[in-house]
Amino acid sequence: MQGVFDDACFQRYRGLVTFPCRHLQTHAIFVPNSSHAVTISPGTKEKARRAAALTLRQISRQDQGGNVEISSTIPIGRGMGSSTADVLATIQAILDRFDVAWSMEEIMHVAVEAETACDSTLFSQVAVLFAQRGGIVLEAFDRALPKIDIISVDCEPSATVSTLDFEPALYNEFEVEAFKPLRSLLRRAVRQGDAGLVGKVATASARINQRFLAKPRLDELEKIAAASGAIGLQVAHSGTLVGMMFDHLSPNRDVSIERAAAALEQAKFSFTTFAA
Amino acid sequence: MTNLQTRYLAEFEMPRVVPLGPNLYAAAFFLMKLLPARYILERALERGDICEGTHICETSSGTFALALAMITARMENRLTIVSDWALEPTLKRRLVELGAEVEIVTQAHPHGGLQKARLDRLNEILAQSPSHFWPRQYDNPDNPRAYGSVAAKLVDRIGQIDCLVGTVGSGGSLCGTASYLRLLFPDMVVIGVDTINSVLFGQPDAPRLVRGLGGSVIPSNVDHTLIDEVHWLSAAEIFQATRQLHSQTGLFMGPTSAAAHKVASWWAAHNDDKTVVILMPDEGHRYADSAYDDDWLNSKVPRWRSVCSDRPVTITNPHADLAQWTRLEWGRRPRSDVIAQSL
Ligand SMILES: Cc1ncc(COP(=O)(O)O)c(C=O)c1O
Repeated sequence: MQGVFDDACFQRYRGLVTFPCRHLQTHAIFVPNSSHAVTISPGTKEKARRAAALTLRQISRQDQGGNVEISSTIPIGRGMGSSTADVLATIQAILDRFDVAWSMEEIMHVAVEAETACDSTLFSQVAVLFAQRGGIVLEAFDRALPKIDIISVDCEPSATVSTLDFEPALYNEFEVEAFKPLRSLLRRAVRQGDAGLVGKVATASARINQRFLAKPRLDELEKIAAASGAIGLQVAHSGTLVGMMFDHLSPNRDVSIERAAAALEQAKFSFTTFAA
Repeated sequence: MTNLQTRYLAEFEMPRVVPLGPNLYAAAFFLMKLLPARYILERALERGDICEGTHICETSSGTFALALAMITARMENRLTIVSDWALEPTLKRRLVELGAEVEIVTQAHPHGGLQKARLDRLNEILAQSPSHFWPRQYDNPDNPRAYGSVAAKLVDRIGQIDCLVGTVGSGGSLCGTASYLRLLFPDMVVIGVDTINSVLFGQPDAPRLVRGLGGSVIPSNVDHTLIDEVHWLSAAEIFQATRQLHSQTGLFMGPTSAAAHKVASWWAAHNDDKTVVILMPDEGHRYADSAYDDDWLNSKVPRWRSVCSDRPVTITNPHADLAQWTRLEWGRRPRSDVIAQSL
């Protein structure tokens, strides 16, 4: 879910709830050297380099040089939060190397500064509604999201999207109000461990997002989802991916996933399946 | 003007959620119109349509006037309410005490009735006020838009909702709440409750006794394409239902709440696997001398105690002459389609 949400004092923020996927990971190692500059390999990861420099300055080691080696299985530019993972892994690698412990808030503060907008990837114990540009938690839900299996469909395999390349969505007044019931239903869904309701919230958010970064063939995917017994669709609001969601605890799960996979195959979608 | 000055009654805006049966919930408001009134005023302040010295004017003989007067009691702005003889003396005294100027129209317009006469008077007042704001609850899209927070409370407390039942006056509450809930539950059934002789869903226009629902003109805030099913009730059925709702559930609510409850109970009993929510717009105090007064009822609606209606008759032509509880499968059609298809 992604939209605009009020904090407890009616202050309005852009916010999101990220869907975690434990199969996709990023590792970083910081190897200090005698230079005064930080390098990153691969060298294209500019946001991670910025995060490394900011972290070193924060712990008063701004003259420390070194190289951060990043290895990741997260696809780039698909809206899966690859750069947030790079940034977080980099910060943590430096903190580990110098045996410094930071609170989550301190880490997120540097991450947002390095990245401008980042996912709530760090918060894995409980689901949070996170202000991706303010770096603050608007609401921590009671528990983690219920277990959900995903068939990840790439709607535009040839395109990549950078979160910062397109204008943040300008929601109309109806949409601004609509995020209130979405947030409330998600709160209830988490509280009750109800995967089906999570699916409804994700689908509603996906539909609202069509006005801003339309996923081609979303209607077709909705039909396949409904016909196969999926609980909903989640989208990368700043990416090209659509996730078909399945209740991990449902007795019909395997049948549903098989049915959906067959239909996707037939409709020539490219997809990957991730178990919860 | 800060949020604090318009939102201090926020605790009164939200409905209480009352479980009435295994699959039936009431959303019982203290005074539902506080919510759209506050939202409309707040948006107008934000857009600069209301500033210091802006004269706020509205035509209403009921709850919307009261809500406006309650919220503007702490503002410096003048508030004028244009109304007619139907404004009860108690309500008029409250409006005046809240600082509103109340204008009573006595002469009906030769063609447009009292509704038109009130509008004409309102337009005269607007023309005399260089800086004015007219909330226009019947066609201001901020009225339905105000109901996002009601949808939020309902899903937080109830979860999945399969059917929403409410009376239709301006259309703001039912259509607003339904449009938000449908984002989450696209298959949710929406049932509009109207009264016989109201043009909103195609009945021929004629005098009506129950206020709050129905009308002689079609407000643009009624989005007919959201409605799955329409029910019409007679005044006698509505007043009987009001007293039964009170005596059987303890809920002391206005007649429109009871009208919605009557239809919803029937639907919920026939769809016991579906969760049904009823919008109940106001409490019963305002009707102590009418719907809750036997003498008043006996004189106005002698049959109120004896009407016997436990199920609706189904019709396809909304223009039919009706005397009792009737239902039509609207099917999310535009009003013009329903009228054309029934000719
Ligand atoms: C008592 C009462 N019930 C129901 C309604 C209908 O609500 P809406 O105008 O949102 O359709 C009104 C509207 O004024 C009302 O005053």
